[in-house]
Amino acid sequence: MSLNGRDSSYQSKSENGIPLHRIQGLILPLIFIVLWEILAIWVDNPALIPRLTAVLSVILHPFTELVGTGSLIWNTAVSLFRVMLGFAVAVVVCVPLGIFMGTSKFIHRLVNPLVELFRPLCPIAWIPFAMAVFKTTTVPQLFGIRYTDTILDSVQIGMVFIIFWGGLFPILLNTIHGVSGVRGLWIETAKVLGASKARMFWKVIIPAALPDIMTGLRVGLGISWMVIIAAEMLPGSDSGIGYLIMYSYELAEMQILVACMIVIGLMGFALNRGLQTVSNRVSSWKALER
Amino acid sequence: MRNLSIKGIQKQFFTPPDRQIIALDQIDLDVRGGEFISLIGPTGCGKTTLLRIIAGLEIPNSGEILLDGMPVDDLHRISTLVFQQYSLFPWCSVIENVMFPMEMKGIPKDERQNRAEEYIALVGLSGAEKAQPYELSGGMQQRVAIARALAHDPEVLLMDEPFGALDERTRHRLQNALLDIWKKKRKTIIFVTHNIDEAIYLADRIIVMTTEPGRIQEDVLVDLKRPRNRLDASFTELHLKVRNSLERTV
Ligand SMILES: Nc1ncnc2c1ncn2[C@@H]1O[C@H](COP(=O)(O)OP(=O)(O)O)[C@@H](O)[C@H]1O
Ligand SMILES: [Mg+2]
Repeated sequence: MSLNGRDSSYQSKSENGIPLHRIQGLILPLIFIVLWEILAIWVDNPALIPRLTAVLSVILHPFTELVGTGSLIWNTAVSLFRVMLGFAVAVVVCVPLGIFMGTSKFIHRLVNPLVELFRPLCPIAWIPFAMAVFKTTTVPQLFGIRYTDTILDSVQIGMVFIIFWGGLFPILLNTIHGVSGVRGLWIETAKVLGASKARMFWKVIIPAALPDIMTGLRVGLGISWMVIIAAEMLPGSDSGIGYLIMYSYELAEMQILVACMIVIGLMGFALNRGLQTVSNRVSSWKALER
Repeated sequence: MRNLSIKGIQKQFFTPPDRQIIALDQIDLDVRGGEFISLIGPTGCGKTTLLRIIAGLEIPNSGEILLDGMPVDDLHRISTLVFQQYSLFPWCSVIENVMFPMEMKGIPKDERQNRAEEYIALVGLSGAEKAQPYELSGGMQQRVAIARALAHDPEVLLMDEPFGALDERTRHRLQNALLDIWKKKRKTIIFVTHNIDEAIYLADRIIVMTTEPGRIQEDVLVDLKRPRNRLDASFTELHLKVRNSLERTV
């Protein structure tokens, strides 16, 4: 706090009293936007460089049907839903597995060779495989329901599978790292204070490993969001923000394409920020520990 | 209050490639219930190892720990150890740390809270309940560790150089606080130190240990009334006696 206070006393203030450092971060983005507009006017070809006003108008009307593929909001929601489902599966599988691998040498020796075998394989390389195996089967169809008339009809098993691979390694490896890094002193302290095995697990191992687990989730979610875009861009896909971006490319609708890019960036930012907030809450002790 | 007997404890460690260290060799020690014992000796004589065995963290190669002549099957329940290193859980606040052992016993939340506040007051930290460990000085952290150990309510309190890293003033203040607590709570205490002055100031009896192999060299009775005065002739006389005994160990 005192550091910040001292910092700001060094900041110059603009005429009307707004501290310069408040708007400092906006300067370069503004220059970028202006240059883009100048370029767009100069090139004068919306199929190459769209005017930002056109892009903005796409973003400001997110519920409008676009080129017969659903609205911007619908396609974003589809992508988000796929990621949430695949990511949830990755968390449910990898956090417990990582805890087992981090606490039991036996399980680590058993599973680790398989992990090392698959780890160098980029998750995007799984996409064609997943499409070939799972075709376009949706999640409800897996449970024998043909149509649910919900967004779930757009969530294919193949997509969930790919997202799962995207989240798998960051979550697994960070969980293992966190659990095996729990200090022996904390474990012995808990023992001499009468902790049973179960209580030790919930009250010492988990809180001590949580900062690393959260890092794994954050990295995993980031990768999942990239992988879903790639998966949706491939042939055979019929919805999602990645599909919309590819489709607008084919139709040379550059203002939609750029709008999609912006949405993808903003969503990635928001997902990371969301998890970062949770993470900060459970990890503050780690950053401040001496 | 039960008497503690340490009978024929032997502990060896094997270090690669094939060195064998006899950390403790035939340790026999009888401690009256409620007695304050100081263990003193050169580095490596097995003080920490002995405490860890009594705390149930280490299993001896032979020998046993008895309470009123009966073997103890769950040492974690009757004793606890205050470590030399700062051992507070950094993700818990002060009061959460102190409530930890009571939570392990399944004591209801309200009672835990009340009792934790009492223990925190006992070590003179009222008002710091909500603080996080990293906000505290080393001396304050050790006070919390003592409060937490007391909250476990053990018969035998084991302390491994708990004030070793503190400056002299803080150390003296905590020594007095510990004696107060000991008087109020009536615990059997085994207190490891390498500081002769601290041993004489605190203990009813000083056990001097020697190294390689770890053995008990001398058992010195401290027959001085409390509060003790470090400048008394009898105090300095004892100081010399313990120092001579220690010098013979190396
Ligand atoms: N886990 C261990 N493995 C190997 N040697 C050990 C281990 N713990 C202690 N020792 C050895 O046993 C001896 C006694 O150690 P310790 O009890 O820590 O002594 P002190 O606390 O009196 O300094 C030392 O020689 C030490 O190196
Ligand atoms: Mg030691």
